[in-house]
Amino acid sequence: MTVVALASDETLLVLKLAFLVLLYAFIILIVRTATKDIGGAPQESIVLGAADAAALRARYGLQPARFVVVSAPGLRPGSKIEVSASMIVGRDAGSGISLDGDEFASTRHARIDPRPDGVWVEDLGSTNGTFVNGEQIGSRRLLQTGDVLRVGGTELKLES
Amino acid sequence: MTARGRELFGLVVASVIAGLALASVTMARSAEISADALTYAVLFLALYVAAHIVVRRTAPYADGALLPVTAALTGIGLAVNYRLDADDARRQALWVLIGVVVLAATLILLRHDYRVLESYRYLFGIAAVLLLFLPAVPGLGERVNGVRLWVHVGPLQFQPGELAKIFLILFLAGYLREKREVLAQGRLKEFGPLLAIWGAAMLVIVQTADLGSALLNFGIFLAMLYVATGRGLFVAAGLGLFVGGATLLYQALDRVQERVTIWLHPWTDERVYCALNGKLELRQDCASYQLVKSLYSIANGGYAGTGLGEGTFTTTDGTELIPHLRTDFIYSAIAQEIGLVGSAALILLYMLFIVRGMRVALRADDGFSKLLAAGLTFGFALQTFIIVGGVLRIVPLTGITLPFVSYGGSSIVANFLLLAGLLLVSHRANVPRSP
Repeated sequence: MTVVALASDETLLVLKLAFLVLLYAFIILIVRTATKDIGGAPQESIVLGAADAAALRARYGLQPARFVVVSAPGLRPGSKIEVSASMIVGRDAGSGISLDGDEFASTRHARIDPRPDGVWVEDLGSTNGTFVNGEQIGSRRLLQTGDVLRVGGTELKLES
Repeated sequence: MTARGRELFGLVVASVIAGLALASVTMARSAEISADALTYAVLFLALYVAAHIVVRRTAPYADGALLPVTAALTGIGLAVNYRLDADDARRQALWVLIGVVVLAATLILLRHDYRVLESYRYLFGIAAVLLLFLPAVPGLGERVNGVRLWVHVGPLQFQPGELAKIFLILFLAGYLREKREVLAQGRLKEFGPLLAIWGAAMLVIVQTADLGSALLNFGIFLAMLYVATGRGLFVAAGLGLFVGGATLLYQALDRVQERVTIWLHPWTDERVYCALNGKLELRQDCASYQLVKSLYSIANGGYAGTGLGEGTFTTTDGTELIPHLRTDFIYSAIAQEIGLVGSAALILLYMLFIVRGMRVALRADDGFSKLLAAGLTFGFALQTFIIVGGVLRIVPLTGITLPFVSYGGSSIVANFLLLAGLLLVSHRANVPRSP
């Protein structure tokens, strides 16, 4: 054993403080890196993974959701839109349903998600909000047949 | 930074923490500053860097926080064990080394697809029951403190319950994955094999009087059943069964009554009958001696603690104040030496491990992986809660180990296996798929 110096109460105190400070620094480090990569694929339940869910949908022959355009700046009224998998509605050209020309719609406005229990719509933090039958939705909402969904200046009606 | 880069950086910080902890202990003991702690920190880091390299090769997309948190926990555990008994700490260090080897071996063996384990689910179920049964076999098992936990094979001794817990989780993950849909509909006959294996495990545990394991395995069973079926009714029914069973056990076993009495009334003003020596004693001097001394130990730590290596665990003539301090009661030793601030950090480390584990379960892509990760994480969480809660008098005390920290080889190795499972599941969940 190589003796470097005699320890005193002060060095012990410094060590104790260093230990505690470093321990909390370590925790903060882990928490910060841990919160960075949260997210990923949204999943329906803790048991059903995305792959399992897709397989189940295929097996039970899930019906695609059919919408009719009521009024829209960029789409032809009366035209039909089919949504067979989770899809984003927005002004972004890469959106599943692109609302190019609708100035009131956000880039990524809302998500339409057909699930075994029905068609869900979720607002993705849009500027002007998402409305169902004129009523603004908080986060997620299950649509009924005949419901009118308003995204920006675009109105879509759910058909059976 | 990638997950592996964060992991390596975290391991370096964890090794510095381990080195600092050991330096405090040696310095408080010998009043000399020596370079030993530095050598130790370097060796500690080398061991975990070896583990890191294996993870990099076998599971490059695995979660990057689990291994550093484990390293920090074992680092604190080793320092506190060293402070309490230097010889045992060397043995513990050897167990951590073996644990890392087991982790590496598991990762290498199962690197292609751990899901092959699902096809051996019944084998795991039966093996779990057999392992739990081992300590009750005459000639093999040994009774320590009225509990049959240990198995002796020649010079080796181990606690099979720790391994049995992981096998039980593997069985439940495989079985519940297969029967999830029919179970969710509540058809009673489908519960047959499940209840058979689980009931056998419980019978064995009650026979060995190991109440901590019984509580732990029952909790894991209920949590995994809930995760698989999503039906709160099953949990309610299970809790009802638990309350019923606990009441029966309370009536039937003196041991359970004593545990509850100690928990609710550790102190008495009058002398009561003491079963240990047959005389009338104050309860704090007899049945609840261990718990009361442990509470005093925690209180002595205060906010900032006495400092590592400076706590009081023996009387002036060198007698140990708290029996089983290094295994069941290590939390009260830690709480005294690093205080509320430090032990809160320790609990935070456990919570980080649990949060990461649950996240692995959320991200996993198939039912078996999800159930496996959720079961392993919940088992880890419940075990920590049962022993820390017991020491802090939140729940009745049942002796089980504090994961990665308590002295004990079986526990260390089993928890490294658990870590290997979580790393494998998270690697598979995070592998980028070609669109």
